[in-house]
Amino acid sequence: MSIIRTEYLNKHFGALHVLQDINLTVDQGEVVCIIGPSGAGKSTLLRALNGLESVHSGKIYIDDTLFLHREEGKLVSAPPSVQRKAMLLETGMVFQSFNLFPHKTVLENLVLAQVKVKRTPKNEAEEKARGLLDQVGLNDKAEAYPAKLSGGQQQRVAIARALAMEPRIMLFDEPTSALDPELVGGVLAVMKDLARSGMTMLVVTHEIGFAREAANRVIFMCDGQIAEEGPPAQLLGNPQNPRTRQFLNSVL
Amino acid sequence: MEAFQQAFRQIIGWMPALIKASGNTILLTATAVTTALALSVFLALGKISRVHSPSGSRGLNLLRKAASALVRGISSAYVFFFRGTPLLMQLFFIYYVLPRYIPALAFRERFWAAYIAFSLNVAAYLAEIIRAAIQSIPKGQLEASHALGFSYGQTMRMIVIPQAYRRMIPPVCNEFVMVLKDTSLVALIAMTDLTYQTKIIASNRASSLVYIPAMVVYLVMTAFFTIVFNRLEKRLSAKE
Ligand SMILES: Nc1ncnc2c1ncn2[C@@H]1O[C@H](COP(=O)(O)OP(=O)(O)OP(=O)(O)O)[C@@H](O)[C@H]1O
Ligand SMILES: [Mg+2]
Repeated sequence: MSIIRTEYLNKHFGALHVLQDINLTVDQGEVVCIIGPSGAGKSTLLRALNGLESVHSGKIYIDDTLFLHREEGKLVSAPPSVQRKAMLLETGMVFQSFNLFPHKTVLENLVLAQVKVKRTPKNEAEEKARGLLDQVGLNDKAEAYPAKLSGGQQQRVAIARALAMEPRIMLFDEPTSALDPELVGGVLAVMKDLARSGMTMLVVTHEIGFAREAANRVIFMCDGQIAEEGPPAQLLGNPQNPRTRQFLNSVL
Repeated sequence: MEAFQQAFRQIIGWMPALIKASGNTILLTATAVTTALALSVFLALGKISRVHSPSGSRGLNLLRKAASALVRGISSAYVFFFRGTPLLMQLFFIYYVLPRYIPALAFRERFWAAYIAFSLNVAAYLAEIIRAAIQSIPKGQLEASHALGFSYGQTMRMIVIPQAYRRMIPPVCNEFVMVLKDTSLVALIAMTDLTYQTKIIASNRASSLVYIPAMVVYLVMTAFFTIVFNRLEKRLSAKE
């Protein structure tokens, strides 16, 4: 069963054809890493999956239900807005720049959407939030404001915040790229735990080591296309596409 | 020495009238800025209104787009008009011209004409301050809110405006002090503010130096509010 499936997604930024007929499937429990050079369209693809970027044409299915169908830049079909919102919440997103709410404490960051969007009772939401902070190793920071935390801690809070909405799949857009090298490990450790716990994950990353260790499948994206995909050992160890080989040589 | 003492006695003699009149200056400034603040939030939100997450039927979306364009047009035109024409003209128009066509607006108190003119005018300036503060909030905040399922209204109310609020306090306080001085224009419709009172006293040739203590009173007022607002800013920024 697929959690996310796209069919022939296309998007342009002016003359730039940034997503070209993207057919992507992520099955339940899978950890998929997307690698590729800068400008390949990795972020754009991830953002299109939860409506942060509009697409020109193509279909997106979430949990095998049609989430969006556009053709020629026009909406062909989408579920009614209540259902659309519920489907949107099945994807949790973690950004490169954390994007925590700076005027709210760590705990409030985790509680706000649970209470206001999912209508969870406040005490229940707080209990869940504390459990998640425990899981990412930050239960002592619940009352702190984000500005008082290191980048690595902020990113772990951001992961916990996304998890608080109980998504079926977590999308990560270069979650460690904005971090000092010594802080990367802590965030990757949290992500590996998450992968082991069975969470479905789609991760855009430059951390080849993480992809090798945690992914079930690696996708190499280049010039708006999925150029190659396969199990990490194969794609990273014995790439078939010369572009993949060239890219791996440049980063390893 | 004798001349100095005489001048001093003269100043003491003017003070009650000057202080009473500066009460009107502060009253006008405070009420107009408060009213303008309320109005300007709607103007600012109107100016940046867009249709978000189009879903539902195509007809409904067209309707929402049209409504949003109308709101945006009205808000922009309002700001354009009130910032693009002189405040004094607006004041004269409201005090002298409007009552001829709308008798209900025949102001028995000049204060009300001044209050309306300043409220409408200052709202246009505050709207730009608030819009700039709202648009200075990083895009990532909106994206995170979207990903967490917040609606546009919730995002504005709970995420954007509380953050923008802190950023707009300094320019709004600055605007308050500017308005305090600009209210001296109401002397031209003979409302008894500090400026007009000064002019009355000075019409007696022997008292023409009253302008000097009157300006000192303005300085005291602007200094007072500047200090109070600085404290307020410090306290708010210390909270994070
Ligand atoms: N809002 C935009 N307007 C115009 N062009 C854009 C916009 N966003 C992205 N692009 C362009 O689209 C292309 C793909 O961008 P994208 O951010 O998806 O790349 P990426 O694979 O995530 O790269 P990186 O590894 O640098 O993050 C780039 O050439 C970028 O300049
Ligand atoms: Mg990117």
